Amino acid sequence: MKKLTVVFIVLLLTVFAFSQTKLVFWTAPNPQQEMFWKEVVAEYETLHPEIDIEWSTIPAAGSSEEAILTAIASGRAPDISTNIFSGFAAQLADIGQLVALNELEGFDELVETRKMGSIIEGWKINGNAYVIPIYSNPVLMWWRDSLLKEAGFDNPPRTYSEIYEFSKNFVVPMERYSIQVIAGRNWWDRWFDFITYYYAGGQGKSYIDTERMKATFNDEVGQEVAQFIKTMFDNQWTAVDLGSDPFYNGAIAGTLMGPWSIAYAENQYPDVIDDIVITSPPVPDNYPSDQPIYTFADAKGLVIFNTTKNLEEAWEFVKWVFSREDFDSKWLEYTKMPPAREDLLTNEIFADFWEANPLAAEYAKYVPYAVPPAPITTTVDVQDIMTVELIEPLMHGTKDVQKALDDAIKAINRILW
Amino acid sequence: MSKRIGLAKKEARKGFGISSIYLIYAAIFWGYPFVWLFILLFSKWRFVGSPQFVGFRNITRVLTDPLFWKTVTNVFRFMMYYIPLVLIGALLFAIALNKIKFGKTFVALSFLVANVSSGVAYSIMFSNLFSVNGPVNKALNSLFGITIPWFTSPQWAMFSIALIVIWKFIGYYGLILYAGLTAIPKSLYEAAELDGAGSLTKFFRITLPLLNPSIIMVLVLAITLAFGIFTEPYMITGGGPMRSTLTPMMHMITTAFQRMDPTYAATMAVFVAIISFGMIWVIRKTMEREVDLV
Repeated sequence: MKKLTVVFIVLLLTVFAFSQTKLVFWTAPNPQQEMFWKEVVAEYETLHPEIDIEWSTIPAAGSSEEAILTAIASGRAPDISTNIFSGFAAQLADIGQLVALNELEGFDELVETRKMGSIIEGWKINGNAYVIPIYSNPVLMWWRDSLLKEAGFDNPPRTYSEIYEFSKNFVVPMERYSIQVIAGRNWWDRWFDFITYYYAGGQGKSYIDTERMKATFNDEVGQEVAQFIKTMFDNQWTAVDLGSDPFYNGAIAGTLMGPWSIAYAENQYPDVIDDIVITSPPVPDNYPSDQPIYTFADAKGLVIFNTTKNLEEAWEFVKWVFSREDFDSKWLEYTKMPPAREDLLTNEIFADFWEANPLAAEYAKYVPYAVPPAPITTTVDVQDIMTVELIEPLMHGTKDVQKALDDAIKAINRILW
Repeated sequence: MSKRIGLAKKEARKGFGISSIYLIYAAIFWGYPFVWLFILLFSKWRFVGSPQFVGFRNITRVLTDPLFWKTVTNVFRFMMYYIPLVLIGALLFAIALNKIKFGKTFVALSFLVANVSSGVAYSIMFSNLFSVNGPVNKALNSLFGITIPWFTSPQWAMFSIALIVIWKFIGYYGLILYAGLTAIPKSLYEAAELDGAGSLTKFFRITLPLLNPSIIMVLVLAITLAFGIFTEPYMITGGGPMRSTLTPMMHMITTAFQRMDPTYAATMAVFVAIISFGMIWVIRKTMEREVDLV
């Protein structure tokens, strides 16, 4: 009798286990985001006991790209993954690994509900939407108010000439510099310097024409930006190797930052918080003052992999998550990163948060003007060439502006073709 | 007779039984990737589907890729600074350690701390130390009125990286040389002294030749390390300025996982392996001596 009961229970458990649909779901390895997804997944599982979401962070590896590619190669790709930037999505779509979400039922309604119609346009790859943007982090300029005042500036500099003016009053070589113009020498650093300046100066015009697959940044705006970088280095008003956290140590008065830095500053440099003023990235002198200033969006999204056996269930889950406003509000609260929606400042649900977090509120203003990177498959090579042909020659003064731009364009076009 | 054969069989089976763990391990973690590497070498594959055979295309691509050869010359530039300095430093450390009367373990351990510390952590520390407004440049400026662009000049950056790696490995190599030093019998030195040899003669005629096996070992370790260097340039210079600190390892990782071209990265890996094995072979052929200490 006892044996029979045991057998019966085991049988029951197996049936139960097999009747559940399993969805493998990976999210970014980041404590705040983990907190968010943990709650969301738990809620979905209680609402839908027939679905078992096997949620984990993207396995530890050099980068999430590395982890996902290795998983694909070994046939262990998840059903759904977050933390995908547009260039990586383009690569994955290129090898046919992503589901075109716009072909699924209810996509248009979802876009409508989440108020992300124009944001999603910037994410389309060959006319298809493979990614649901989760958050959009505009890159903005941080200034130290006290240091500005020291140099006689009540308001932060807005244009290149104003920054030159400020630098003349402020810079003490080897002691302190005006702003950190160049973020570093890795390929992704170009997002946080040249591309941001270029978007700002050109009202969000892309540096790559993705229709004709040609680099386009050797125009007037590109020249202005390149001249700005060159002028700052020629006069030694900026430097690259400033050690860690130069902004908080007062080694520089201004730098480009994403909203993720707010939480860091609050934890590590609470004394500096009240001294921070956030503005748009600098623009050329002739930039009309009544026009909005665009900037770069460090944005990540969610994709569904083609290899999924439960596309319908996966899509149901995705639709459920992104049609709930309260989740976006929770996301904002936990991560301080603006959700990719266009009603951040008009929707009541976020109002309290902006009230309590004025620095984050500055970022929200720029979400409609924040443009993600060009969705191309050769992001690494393109930005590596930008570094070697354009940025480094300008830093070291080995090329003039026009030659640096032309060389970079020529080399990039060779790759894009 | 038959009994003996039976025993031999039994022994053989036992032997296989014991070594099978290692054999299976090697087959999975060494043999399988090795075979896979050769498949990748001659094919085009982008993580999905089955590899397409492309003949020697990957190999000719490596041979004509200026970026790859730039990374290889960067390794040689690194070794040019690294090997002589680390060898001299480690030798001095070993000799000093040999002369110390007490506190040997403490001194040795202090040097080994560098070897076990996290690459990411000390990379951040050094980039702060050597930054344009950092303590090193400030001191140089106040003492001599100069500053050194440690990580920002294409000429200096690789030297600075080499300095960091030297700092890390001096204690480890020093201990290997120290072990070699202690193995040299004292009687040899005493006999030489009786014959009127000075300390320089003793060093060049006894110490150095008898240290040969340890020095070769350090050289081999240093060469393999040079071809695998990654963390320091990745963290500090990102391969710049002007790609002067871009190493093959960095180039391979971005190629495999960010350019999505694992077959090409695998081909580069094979080339790097051949070059480093070749160097080690040459070093051993030309410098290794049979040393008998009895």
